Amino acid sequence: MAARAICTAALLLLAFVCPSAGLSLDTVREFLTREEDTIVFSLIERARYPINRPAYDPVHLGDGRRLNASFAELFIRESEAVQSKAGRYQSLLEIPFFAYRVPFTLAPPYNFTRELYPAAAFVNVNDAIWSMYFNELLPLLAKTGDDGNYAATVDSDLACLQVLSRRINYGRYVAEVKFRGDQQTYTSLIQAKDRDALMKLLTSEAQEDVVKRRVEKKAIVFGQSITSDGPIETSVNNSSGTDFKVDPSVVYKLYDQWVIPLTKQVEVEYLLHRLD
Amino acid sequence: MDAAGGGELSLAAVRDALVRLEDSVVFALIERARHPRNAPAYAPAGGGGRSLVEFYVREAEALDAKAGHYQKPEDVPFFPQDLPSTLFPTKSSPQVLHPLASLVTVNDAIWKMYFDELLPLFTVDGDDGSYAETVALDFACLQLLSRRIHIGKYVAEVKFKDAPQDYSPLIQAKDSNSLMDLLTFKAVEEKVKKRVEKKGRTFGQNVTLEDNAGGSGFKIDPTVLSKLYDQWVMPLTKDVEVEYLLRRLD
Repeated sequence: MAARAICTAALLLLAFVCPSAGLSLDTVREFLTREEDTIVFSLIERARYPINRPAYDPVHLGDGRRLNASFAELFIRESEAVQSKAGRYQSLLEIPFFAYRVPFTLAPPYNFTRELYPAAAFVNVNDAIWSMYFNELLPLLAKTGDDGNYAATVDSDLACLQVLSRRINYGRYVAEVKFRGDQQTYTSLIQAKDRDALMKLLTSEAQEDVVKRRVEKKAIVFGQSITSDGPIETSVNNSSGTDFKVDPSVVYKLYDQWVIPLTKQVEVEYLLHRLD
Repeated sequence: MDAAGGGELSLAAVRDALVRLEDSVVFALIERARHPRNAPAYAPAGGGGRSLVEFYVREAEALDAKAGHYQKPEDVPFFPQDLPSTLFPTKSSPQVLHPLASLVTVNDAIWKMYFDELLPLFTVDGDDGSYAETVALDFACLQLLSRRIHIGKYVAEVKFKDAPQDYSPLIQAKDSNSLMDLLTFKAVEEKVKKRVEKKGRTFGQNVTLEDNAGGSGFKIDPTVLSKLYDQWVMPLTKDVEVEYLLRRLD
């Protein structure tokens, strides 16, 4: 408790100005658009490594015992624990895949603006994201093979999982903005628990189409093989066939089948708790 | 470094690895540039304690070590003392370098360069409170830069094997300056600088569905990338090459 008093005093003394960007449809769109780049980068980085299957199988210890968890799960749990201690999940923008009880963090104090409705802020689909990533996306993304670089591989898996989780669970912020923009309509639908009507209200196929085509274009642009001289080749067309970065149609599919639908699921769930 | 062909190292394979790393470095810096400077993450904690970044890197490296990460000569920790040993069986890669390669590290210089010189160049002043994300992104940048620079050990080995008669007398005379001259290819370095700047422009652009070549602004100043490679990455890589070669005949 003394530590907290000191932190508050330090905050006042230092008077950090937190420019509250304020939640609006524009800032939300801006955030989601920037996340596309991060997602494409992280997929390209993961695609450098082959599938490296042993990282995802139950761990066999030297003495013949077998753990229930895979190398990947153990590594990710530990990594999230460290990040938790460093203060990563304080702002609610990110939700970890595995829960921790951290008595305090070592992060310097910061006055986060709370934009989300507290009773609904916990809403997330991390289980579905985890399952989708390992069972559906990874086989599409990485070629067969095993190069033994399990730590680096899982590190890049975590980067993908983190950005996908952040982007998809950002549906909470999207929903909050939309709710504030038309409280009357949303309130009656929420009270009626009308999921279908809510989903319909949240969906703009035209918008979704723009997003999917843009993220596919980003995969093409960022996936290029760039040489110091000579034309820029896209990995899809280059005749040498080497340095395959990421298949743009996989990125399109990722958004079409998973990112966008899961985000809307989060939006609906958030709204259903918005009046709690 | 995956020595293709079971242990046979070639200059082409090593150059390939360096070129691919450029993309990773550019991506990592672009991602870091998304956040402002966030100075509190680098300030010593109250009472002379460690900064958040130092705490985080030490912990992350300990986890990496347990996961078997620091087995290869190009993977060098920033805080090597008291690193735990690996808990998992790892694939052993063929030994292509001289056994003393593991002693060569320029991580102190990389750390100093990254925080004192580079960070101010490509992050804006400000504080958004995301300290944990920031230091995680810093660690990613540091690891990539360190890996790129320590691949110099392989570069040196390949060059030595190609012309041992040129290198041996200089090594025996401990003539660092002449070794440095022998290792330097200005034409190649110019190519690298240009390519890395081009990558910064390409990967850092704002991509929209409209056909606006040139776009509106970049996420990172491309000239920072060519400066990074020119002033720090390539010189430090050559330092590693020289350090490696000086031990090559031991």
